[in-house]
Amino acid sequence: MFRFRHFGTRLLCIIVGLLAVAQLTTFFFVAQANRRNALAAVEQALDRGARQFEAITRERQAALLLAARSLAGDYALRQLFLGSTFNQDTARSALASYQNRIRASGLFILDPEGGLLADTQSSETPVVEPFRRLLSVAEMEPTAEAAGWGFLDEAALNQIVLVPLFAPHPEIAAWIGMGFTIDRVAAEDLKDTSSLEVTFLTLGETPRVIASTLSPERALELSRLVRPGADVALERLRLGGEEYVSRFRRVETATGQSAWVVLQRSLEVELAPARTLENVLVAFTLASLVVALLIGLFLARSISRPVRRLEEHTRVIASGDYATAIHLPRVDEFGRLAEAFNALSSGLAERDRVRDLLDKNVSPEVAARLLRDGAALGGEEREVTVLFADLRGFTPLSEGLPARELITLLNRYLDRMSAAVEAQGGVVDKYIGDEIMAIFGAPVDCADSADRAVRAALAMRGALAELNRELAAEGRPPLAFGVGINTAQVIAGNIGSRRRLNYSVIGDGVNLAARLQPLTRRAEFATDVIISDFTRAALRGRYALRALGDITVKGKTTASHIHAVDAAE
Amino acid sequence: MRFDFPLITCAVCGTGFWRRLGISLGLGAGILVGPLVAQSSFEALVVDAAGELVSDAVLSLSPLDGQIVPAAAVGGAKISQIKQEYSPYVTAVRTGTPVEFPNLDTIQHHIYSVSKPKRFEIPLYEPGRSEVVTFDQPGLVVIGCNIHDWMSAYVLVLDTPWFSKTTADGRVRFVDLAPGRYRLELWHPRVSKPLSREVTLGTTNGAEPLRLTLTLRPERRLRRAPVPGAGGAY
Repeated sequence: MFRFRHFGTRLLCIIVGLLAVAQLTTFFFVAQANRRNALAAVEQALDRGARQFEAITRERQAALLLAARSLAGDYALRQLFLGSTFNQDTARSALASYQNRIRASGLFILDPEGGLLADTQSSETPVVEPFRRLLSVAEMEPTAEAAGWGFLDEAALNQIVLVPLFAPHPEIAAWIGMGFTIDRVAAEDLKDTSSLEVTFLTLGETPRVIASTLSPERALELSRLVRPGADVALERLRLGGEEYVSRFRRVETATGQSAWVVLQRSLEVELAPARTLENVLVAFTLASLVVALLIGLFLARSISRPVRRLEEHTRVIASGDYATAIHLPRVDEFGRLAEAFNALSSGLAERDRVRDLLDKNVSPEVAARLLRDGAALGGEEREVTVLFADLRGFTPLSEGLPARELITLLNRYLDRMSAAVEAQGGVVDKYIGDEIMAIFGAPVDCADSADRAVRAALAMRGALAELNRELAAEGRPPLAFGVGINTAQVIAGNIGSRRRLNYSVIGDGVNLAARLQPLTRRAEFATDVIISDFTRAALRGRYALRALGDITVKGKTTASHIHAVDAAE
Repeated sequence: MRFDFPLITCAVCGTGFWRRLGISLGLGAGILVGPLVAQSSFEALVVDAAGELVSDAVLSLSPLDGQIVPAAAVGGAKISQIKQEYSPYVTAVRTGTPVEFPNLDTIQHHIYSVSKPKRFEIPLYEPGRSEVVTFDQPGLVVIGCNIHDWMSAYVLVLDTPWFSKTTADGRVRFVDLAPGRYRLELWHPRVSKPLSREVTLGTTNGAEPLRLTLTLRPERRLRRAPVPGAGGAY
């Protein structure tokens, strides 16, 4: 299956495709409706034409009868019969004169029995039979007149009429027959009134065109298409590449021969106005497709372009460059997406910076938790428990040791203590020489910071005992420490210069913790871990506490309750 | 004894011609035939196919047994033109009879005939004038008027002196005929062919009239076009 590799191409194809389908459907239906209408119009025109043909034929026949009747009543003609003998030459010339007067194609005088008396035909054997057939019809008629069709010679189809020559009425002294050729003029007349192509043709041995308003070639083509049975049939014929709706009407002559009147209208001609409309429609369709193409291109580009830019920017971010911002000055989803990208970049940059800071300041777990929970590192007031631990007897120890070993030993001690702090979720805030400052409850909140601090102190005590055993094994003097713990509201935040920041806490509570630690030196307290009453109040677990009374620490005006933390039971 | 010839009951028969003819024929016959033999009479009733009485039919009897025929008649007949019609419509005459055509109208007429026994014309002539045409060949002569298509008259020219036209009662009657065989011919303007048969007349009278049936063509006489202000003959 074909797949689009570019969203823009797909969008373009959809827009142009939909429009093309809509337009083509419209065009199809319009064209079909046009054709149907044209066909209906042609059929109507043909029906009308057929009726007109009948009417014209009737009128013409009536006119011919009238002419013949007037001629038959003409006394000059009657006088031909007054002489003792019928003078045929005189009669012929008189008929020729009449023929000229009424523009008939042929005039005939028959005796009452149908014998030819005189005619205008030049032929030796004039065709009288059609008139004789009319005579037998006329004798039955009250008017003694008859009309019909007939071939007066091989080629000429005539409308023929026969009227009696009364001398006087109702005695029929002779019959007057008249023929009027159907020629191109007659066809053109019919075309003028009906707007139809008119063709008269006959089949006979070979099809023959009698008269037609069509071009001779097309008329000949048409004559070959007529079948003997065709009558009043409606057909569509193709002549010279043009489609004609055609109606055939058979005309039977007085002598029983057949001729056909073919009424036609070119579908092309009828469709011409519709074609104009279709052409306009085609032009409109093409124009709208072009417009749709342009709009589609614009739309596709307006979508794919920012997408591509965002894609490129994603690569930039993926390569670790968080400093480069993407600039998409748009108010839509793409604009917002670009802003989101920028927020993402700066977020990632911030995270990197925070990670940098945390890596130096806090344990990896706390750092990860900070990053995950998104702890705010700005300045804030919060309750924390602060632990200070100071190494005792380090100065005498350091006197007898080289600097390298001293540092190693110090770090060994600090490492154990730090581990104990971190094991309880505390953060080693800083080392001040051999002193440790640790914070519980910041930067990550925890409700039991006092417990954690006390447990950390106990663990530190255990860790120190362990370290002393190792030192004893190494033949070194043992180490001791003093721990002060206080729980208080403090200000937490990144503190320092722009170049170096430290996450730390400051406040009175911090100072109190620092002041409690030296109190462990007092022999009467007999403990290495002293907690304030605030811490004790915050404790949830049970510990072996021993009240040490009130103490006024340095820098404080009020006395504080303090407690010693003994070994757990 | 007297040979009466009560043939015609038309407008003009009482006034001269027919009476004169009858008298002269009667005189001639009386002189030649009268004292010799007993006389017959003959009566016929003419009806059409529907049994309707037929007037204006002409019945003629031509002798077949050498019966003595009177000499040709003196005098003639008259066909007038009155109110743009010929009157009478049907006239029977013996061959050689001169017929007078008086124009008793207020307009001119143009009489013609193209019938073989007598082709003639009297071109437009003034009212009040009269022309005479002698019908010297037997046969049917149809007379028209060149300027009035509806005017027509029939003149049946016969070689026998014994003929008569049916009256409105469809009857025709002959008296004082010599007995013997006769060729009876019955003609009417609307027959295609005259009826022809042989009859034998005896001396006994009082027989029922001979009933003769004619097959008539449909009436096709032209009706006169109404003329505005003409007082309307039609």
